[in-house]
Amino acid sequence: MASVNGFEPRIVAFLCRWCSYAGADLAGTSRLKYPPNIIPIRVPCSGRVDPQWVLEAFERGADGVFIGGCHPGDCHYVSGNYKTRRRVVLLKKLLPQLGIEPERLRLEWISATEGQRFAQVVTEFVRELKELGPIVAGGDALRVTRDGQVQIER
Amino acid sequence: MSSPTSLTETRHSSPVPRRDAKPKLAVYWTGSCGGCDVSFLEVGEAIVEVLSRVEIVFWPALVDAKRSDLEALPPGSIDVALINGVIRTEENAEMAKLLRAKSKYIVAYGACAHLGGVPSLADRWGKEEIFREVFGKGFRPGPPPGANGEAALPDLLDAAVPLEDVVRVDYVVPGCPPPAPLISRFFGALLGGEMPEPPHVFANVKALCEECQRVRHDDRRIERIVRPHEVLPDPETCLLEQGLICMGPVTRGGCNALCPAAGMPCTGCLGPTPEAGDPGTAMLSALASLVRFEDEGEEYFPKEDGVLEALADPLGTFYMYSFGRFRRKR
Repeated sequence: MASVNGFEPRIVAFLCRWCSYAGADLAGTSRLKYPPNIIPIRVPCSGRVDPQWVLEAFERGADGVFIGGCHPGDCHYVSGNYKTRRRVVLLKKLLPQLGIEPERLRLEWISATEGQRFAQVVTEFVRELKELGPIVAGGDALRVTRDGQVQIER
Repeated sequence: MSSPTSLTETRHSSPVPRRDAKPKLAVYWTGSCGGCDVSFLEVGEAIVEVLSRVEIVFWPALVDAKRSDLEALPPGSIDVALINGVIRTEENAEMAKLLRAKSKYIVAYGACAHLGGVPSLADRWGKEEIFREVFGKGFRPGPPPGANGEAALPDLLDAAVPLEDVVRVDYVVPGCPPPAPLISRFFGALLGGEMPEPPHVFANVKALCEECQRVRHDDRRIERIVRPHEVLPDPETCLLEQGLICMGPVTRGGCNALCPAAGMPCTGCLGPTPEAGDPGTAMLSALASLVRFEDEGEEYFPKEDGVLEALADPLGTFYMYSFGRFRRKR
């Protein structure tokens, strides 16, 4: 990742296979440009995203976590995205208590046809995270080494 | 430090298989409130029998013995050492290691030794931040000016950690403090010579809800979140259904659902079930599933947010006893 200002955020993205993952695919096949900072993980439904994964991603040094789900009413499993939305509301209340800015967690509805929107949302999220800076937990910045070790930067 | 007398030997002849000699017992407190030491009395008159069938070699709350007495013991000479409290200071860690060396089995007794307990909520902040907050600027942990090094208080560790972070733990008697049924379960196994294969937690694998007498409904959902002081709960219905955040679904049973029976929601002191794993995220998920109105959809989002907003302290609610184990910065 080439970086201009020295900080390139790492984003773990959980993408629903029915909509957001297909949306990301469309962005790719349409050759749309967006920053390469996201690490996409395909999940069967945004409702499959265990809140533990979100916290673990942050604890292991992710600067942002992105969850992509189907638009309201479109969930393949009827109500998975509604549950996810309520989890995200609660997580955003919990994160500040853990010393993590709630803005680092982002939930978006992106359908399979919205490749353009996917690229735009990711671009926006990366810009916001660059403004926030690297993740800091309990006053110490975390750094992830190439072999996946998390180190505390003093 | 009692020694066997003929009187107790004859009076307490028991049908359960006896070991050759009385088990040698140590009980020690680290970063503790003292409640765990008192909790043994919860078992009632049975305590008399228990105390007559063990040999207490070290128990600062009960008998006079010094650290030097403990140091003088040969390695492995204590059968079982029960340690309660969080590991907060260098001295706590030293004593835990000393007891480990002298004991065949180590028992994490109570929520602090088990999961960090309430004191580990301090792990939201670093050691330096805690010193700054409590003592202000200028405090140095160390001997006062002019004193020798011996006079220094033991330094705080970087975090308040559960016992298993410092020594190998064989058994856990969980709870804040451990409830009578689990204390009995432990001493029953010990005195019956039927201790399970370590590691073992002396509590149920199934959730507290399994033994709770309150009535659950299949279509349950939560339309409001309330705190215990705000309502007088219905005595029969599940507390979660009434909007009280009860940790029962993710917490081990074994206490006979003591708190819910008294109208107080479970706060999770026995620790999470093996299935729940992280109790905080498991409960957060459960709560997110339960909070909904007669239907779901975009038009209900603001109403749902209004309900969730009433949850005053997610971290303190979800990780009251387990922050040190599950969420401490590593």
